[in-house]
Amino acid sequence: MSEKILQVKDLTVSFSSYAGQVHAVRDISFDLCRGETLAIVGESGSGKSVTTKAILGILPGNGTIEGGEILYNGMDLAKCSDKEFESVRGKKISLVFQDPLSALNPIMKIGKQIMEALVLSKAATKGEAKERALELMRRVGIPQPEIRFNQYPFQFSGGMRQRIVIAIALACNPEILICDEPTTALDVTIQAQILELINEIKERNNLSIIFITHDLGVVANVADRVAVMYAGKIVEFGRSEEIFYDPKNPYTWALLSSMPDLDTKEQLFSIPGTPPNMLHPPAGDAFHERNQYALKIDTREAPPFFKVSDTHYAATWLLDPRAPKVEPPRVLRERIERMKRRAAEHAGQ
Amino acid sequence: MIKYIAQRVLALLITLFIILTIAFLVIRLMPGSIYDSNEMLSADMVKILEDKYHLNDPLLVQYRYFLEDILLHWDWGTSVAVQPRVPVWEVLASKIPITLQLNFVSLLISLPIGILAGIFAAIYQNTKVDYTISFFVVVFISVPSFIFATVLQYFLAYKLGWFPIIYNATATGAAKYLSMILPITALSFSPIARVTRYLRGELIENLSSEYMLLARTKGLTRLQATVRHSMRNSFVPLANIIIPMFTNILTGSLVVEQIFSVAGVGGLLVESINSSDHTLTIAILIFYSMISLLTILIVDLSYGIIDPRVRIGGGSNG
Ligand SMILES: Nc1ncnc2c1ncn2[C@@H]1O[C@H](COP(=O)(O)OP(=O)(O)OP(=O)(O)O)[C@@H](O)[C@H]1O
Ligand SMILES: [Mg+2]
Repeated sequence: MSEKILQVKDLTVSFSSYAGQVHAVRDISFDLCRGETLAIVGESGSGKSVTTKAILGILPGNGTIEGGEILYNGMDLAKCSDKEFESVRGKKISLVFQDPLSALNPIMKIGKQIMEALVLSKAATKGEAKERALELMRRVGIPQPEIRFNQYPFQFSGGMRQRIVIAIALACNPEILICDEPTTALDVTIQAQILELINEIKERNNLSIIFITHDLGVVANVADRVAVMYAGKIVEFGRSEEIFYDPKNPYTWALLSSMPDLDTKEQLFSIPGTPPNMLHPPAGDAFHERNQYALKIDTREAPPFFKVSDTHYAATWLLDPRAPKVEPPRVLRERIERMKRRAAEHAGQ
Repeated sequence: MIKYIAQRVLALLITLFIILTIAFLVIRLMPGSIYDSNEMLSADMVKILEDKYHLNDPLLVQYRYFLEDILLHWDWGTSVAVQPRVPVWEVLASKIPITLQLNFVSLLISLPIGILAGIFAAIYQNTKVDYTISFFVVVFISVPSFIFATVLQYFLAYKLGWFPIIYNATATGAAKYLSMILPITALSFSPIARVTRYLRGELIENLSSEYMLLARTKGLTRLQATVRHSMRNSFVPLANIIIPMFTNILTGSLVVEQIFSVAGVGGLLVESINSSDHTLTIAILIFYSMISLLTILIVDLSYGIIDPRVRIGGGSNG
């Protein structure tokens, strides 16, 4: 594996609220290699956005990093001061938001919003910054950038706005791009275009990407590796093929089964129950209440990571040598077979 | 933009016309005649006088005379009771400067103070600073200005003797300004509180907005992002509350002027109504309406200049 550009170790984040401590992210570790796309997948509320906010040092006032390290370029972002963070935020690590409609300042010209960071950090003169902004707009596929430069967000469609948000994120030439559900707010055809754009930019700029989503269908097209998150913890991670073709954690099974499938008319599976309340995360394996494969031990003790391969780990007691042998549900096995066949056909063409 | 301005001006004229009509009707429908107060007239003489001035014609006919005079000759009539035979605008003109001075100064000092207090309350949200400011906001908004006027007059002027008890129209220079301080202060509490409350709300919302987050993640410092995005965006809707604020000051001024014996428009309005000086009352009403409408116009236009969605969208896009 190539050089690790970002390492998150034992990160724990919680929020103080009137009801008590919200344990949003609990002791997660992962790393990002240079030039790869790492997808973080999980249901709403699993702590994906909180993780990105911690990495970028923009947790809201009531949130604190309780422990752990975020290592980037010899710095520990979990402990660095506001001042130190300024050299990283936007310049080395940037963020693409979920909702491009609200992410742009409604009363500031698009061009100015792209240039702003460059000019304010004195990285470029106004003229240079404008050149760069126009070039970025061209690169993210905005037609007639000279005209668009002087327009306001309300004059852009949702997909165009997301392209602008991407251009803004790229303005200072960052090394790492975090995309927090960049396509969730867009309709399907636009989604595909934006994903393509992100892939293309990644190649050109040699970016490393953390791609956050709750939609595994999107992941297959972009990710080299996948981390599955549930209730503030990572429950399985591995290379993309490993997660798709050989998932081990029952939560991953559930996620894969609930993925919409255009080929079959089969009833869409939805995971029973709701994600736990993070004020009082359940003891043991947080998923056990919704898990038909739960073992007795799951109610008491959280599973450690079991190694499946050098790159593939899963936190589930089912992988313990003493556990009964359990196969993924039949629907999922059939689905995996179909996916494999289709991939083979693609490769054969 | 020109179309936008033309639309607004047209709307203003129409509104003014409607107000003029309503003012005319309401005042003419009030009981009593302008000759009521003159005890030395026989019934015949009143009849002759009333006929001479068409006061016994149907209301619509009277309204036509009234409009014709205004539109064709720009003749708004003369005062009949307060300052007989003096054109109404002259009577009014002698009272306007002091009232406007008090009201505009009050508006001008309220804005920066309110803005600063609002910014502090928002940035130090849910701290002692915020709670203290919010407490005063509640007090200032709920207590009417004439109470403040009375309290200030009693303690600062009467008990402590720091200021003159009433407005001193004859004094010049420092003494005059000194006597203006209390009425202006009394008028300013409520507008300050309104600006503070509004800006605090706006700013808190903008500070937690997504584009504020984007501003930070693209590499702006917290201060840069706050000033260039949150604050800038909070000031735009501020223009909206200047209208109710200014009308608030104007109406407050009607009473506060009385308390400090300021010979301004407020006193004149009360006097003209009491003495059935209809033409003067109408002129004063039109004057107040005109000021409010102009404020609205200015605010509307500035809104168009500040907010691109209004300026460019023209309503088509949002
Ligand atoms: N400011 C906050 N105060 C209190 N709790 C918070 C705050 N922000 C997030 N949380 C809690 O943290 C948990 C994780 O939230 P997060 O936004 O990371 O979810 P997510 O995985 O990004 O979900 P989604 O797919 O909906 O974006 C949730 O339970 C949420 O309620
Ligand atoms: Mg999220």
